[in-house]
Amino acid sequence: MTLSRRTFVKVGGAALALPLLGSRAFAQLEKVKIGFIYVGSINDNGYNYAHNQGRIYVEEQLGDKVETVFVENVPEGPDCERVLRELAQQGCQLIFATSFGFGDSVVKVAAQFPDIAFEHATGYMNGPNIGLYNARFYEGRAVCGTIAGHMSKTGKAGYIGSFPIPEVVMGINALALSGRRINPEFTVKPVYISTWNDPAKEADAARAMIDQGIDIVAQHTDGPAALQVAAERGIVGGFGQGADMSAFAPDTQLTAIIDHWGPHYLASAEAVLAGTWTPGNTWEGLKEDVVQMGPYGAKVPEDVRAAADQVKNGQIDGSFHIFTGPIKDNTGTERVAAGVVMTDAELLSMDWYVEGVEQPA
Amino acid sequence: MQFRLEKRREPSKAMIYITPVVAVVLTMIVGAVIFSLIGYDGIGAVREIFLTPLTNSYKWQDLGIKAAPLIIIGVGLSIAYRANVWNIGAEGQYVIGGLAGTGIALLTYGMTGWWILPLMVLAGMLGGMAYAAIPALLRTRLNVNEILTSLMLTYASVQLIYYLIRAPWKDPMGMGFPQTRLFSEAARLPTIIPGTIVHLGVPIAVLVGIVAWFIMTRSVFGYRMRVVGAAPHAARYGGFSENKTIWLAMLVSGGLAGLAGVLEVAGPFQRMVPGFPTNYGFTAIIVAFLGRLNPLGVIVAGIVLAITFVGGEVAQTTIGLPNAATGIFQAMMLFFLLAGDILIKYRLRRVLPQPSVGAA
Repeated sequence: MTLSRRTFVKVGGAALALPLLGSRAFAQLEKVKIGFIYVGSINDNGYNYAHNQGRIYVEEQLGDKVETVFVENVPEGPDCERVLRELAQQGCQLIFATSFGFGDSVVKVAAQFPDIAFEHATGYMNGPNIGLYNARFYEGRAVCGTIAGHMSKTGKAGYIGSFPIPEVVMGINALALSGRRINPEFTVKPVYISTWNDPAKEADAARAMIDQGIDIVAQHTDGPAALQVAAERGIVGGFGQGADMSAFAPDTQLTAIIDHWGPHYLASAEAVLAGTWTPGNTWEGLKEDVVQMGPYGAKVPEDVRAAADQVKNGQIDGSFHIFTGPIKDNTGTERVAAGVVMTDAELLSMDWYVEGVEQPA
Repeated sequence: MQFRLEKRREPSKAMIYITPVVAVVLTMIVGAVIFSLIGYDGIGAVREIFLTPLTNSYKWQDLGIKAAPLIIIGVGLSIAYRANVWNIGAEGQYVIGGLAGTGIALLTYGMTGWWILPLMVLAGMLGGMAYAAIPALLRTRLNVNEILTSLMLTYASVQLIYYLIRAPWKDPMGMGFPQTRLFSEAARLPTIIPGTIVHLGVPIAVLVGIVAWFIMTRSVFGYRMRVVGAAPHAARYGGFSENKTIWLAMLVSGGLAGLAGVLEVAGPFQRMVPGFPTNYGFTAIIVAFLGRLNPLGVIVAGIVLAITFVGGEVAQTTIGLPNAATGIFQAMMLFFLLAGDILIKYRLRRVLPQPSVGAA
């Protein structure tokens, strides 16, 4: 059983000040050795696959100047601590911990190896040698939601989540908000399965929700299982998550949110080589090409593609932000006033659902 | 040349101790061949998985903390299995033990005092025992197979974690993540070797093994467990109640699984998280059998399994062996062990071709 990952950068002033106080000079290097730890398998064709593609990208770009190692299926607990120390001891100068639940372990191990640069994906605890990086997956959700709003016949989408952490909650909300811009009756039903990667649970959740009348399925878990169930049951469609999953459900994947970590990994590797690495705190999206959209499925009509493109391009040029008020929560209380855009800090601590999202059990 | 299996008059004492060693050696050889055939450095894989964790002193601490829960649970299971009581749900009892300890840690949050840890340990053991009491009750009252009930209760225990850490025990500072808060200092297991991560649970595990060995070989309780398992009819004549034995076996194995759970949550985890169940309860079944259901053997077997876990990660990084390889090696070990067990009761005898008798 795996568990916790991802999410969220605490943008508090105190947290930001810490790395400045503790910043240290890193030496220039001839060659950098980079370690990656993944919470799932690199063959999950989703989240972990995408991180591994990022690793391969760095190898391709830097050639002889880099050596990479990785460990997959690392449980989010004390086992992670051991793997991190193993990588540190093997001489890695830069280590990427790619899942939210690795946070406690990164904090412990980074303190023991002050000369090694650690970067934690989607986490919120930084330190003098711990950088944070994350992607604005919600921007991709807004594109998916636009398609869902147009194409759903029942007006109901199901959403398979891992844990109710802000990153996941924000994705659910982005899907609901963008769907309701098209179809005001559009609703989203979330289900949490308490794991990032369990194809059987993902498939079961998809089946149960299809039986309850959803005809679009989205997921914030790592593999294509839900999409395959969607194809089997012949519902309108679903979305690839983490990577293009069209190979698993060619007619059912309407588009995919592709995590494109390569450029970020390359930048960090180059910084370590140059001796200029400092613990950063990045949250990039479609504009920076860290989040990409997959190709539209064959059944997505021309007008829907145009609408989706518009949302995508609006987020790239900055003219559109899905979390722009007025936004009501699912009890009817107004949370964001008209015209106001939610701040990153507000997004990164989001623990309420927007109107149209069924309160999960 | 042909071979035949021939039943031994007496089970072979030597084979009892030889087959586990043979199983490990065969696992190494076959593993090296298989992984060479599919294109990995097979010899390197075996070296990294089985030897590096032993030769690299930096890895010893990892072996210790990985082996400790396996040994504690494995010792309990070995006692139960000796008595032919098949507690398959140690994982669930481990989880409930961890949860019971967590409950005390959260109740005493912010307090200090030497009594907190012992109280947690007590709660953890009682929790594991209580959870093992359910299959014991069902078995003795309704004759329900304990294999099924103890196994199924494991899944229920995991749902209980999810429930508790999502609502009543949720960390107020956890950004919505389902986990409890970090325990306060008094509820954390102390590190016994400065500069390492070796916690108090490691010596406790060894102590549990030794004490259990003593009890099993030198006490009426141990005699009872062994007799009931080896000769149930004789045990009944001897006046050992079967139901009482089932209760004892389940409570001891459940209590020890609970102890492992509370030590794990107070030691390496220091908070309850959804990833708390890491299959120690199931791996400990292999440990119990590899250790020949002998508590001292379980100590060794626990270390062997810990080596494969730690070495499996080394092999991933150094020679790119997939994570699944660790599981393959562990499974092969159990397979060879069980297959080799036939040699305890049977011997291999060469059969000479019969001289043909006067073909007419």
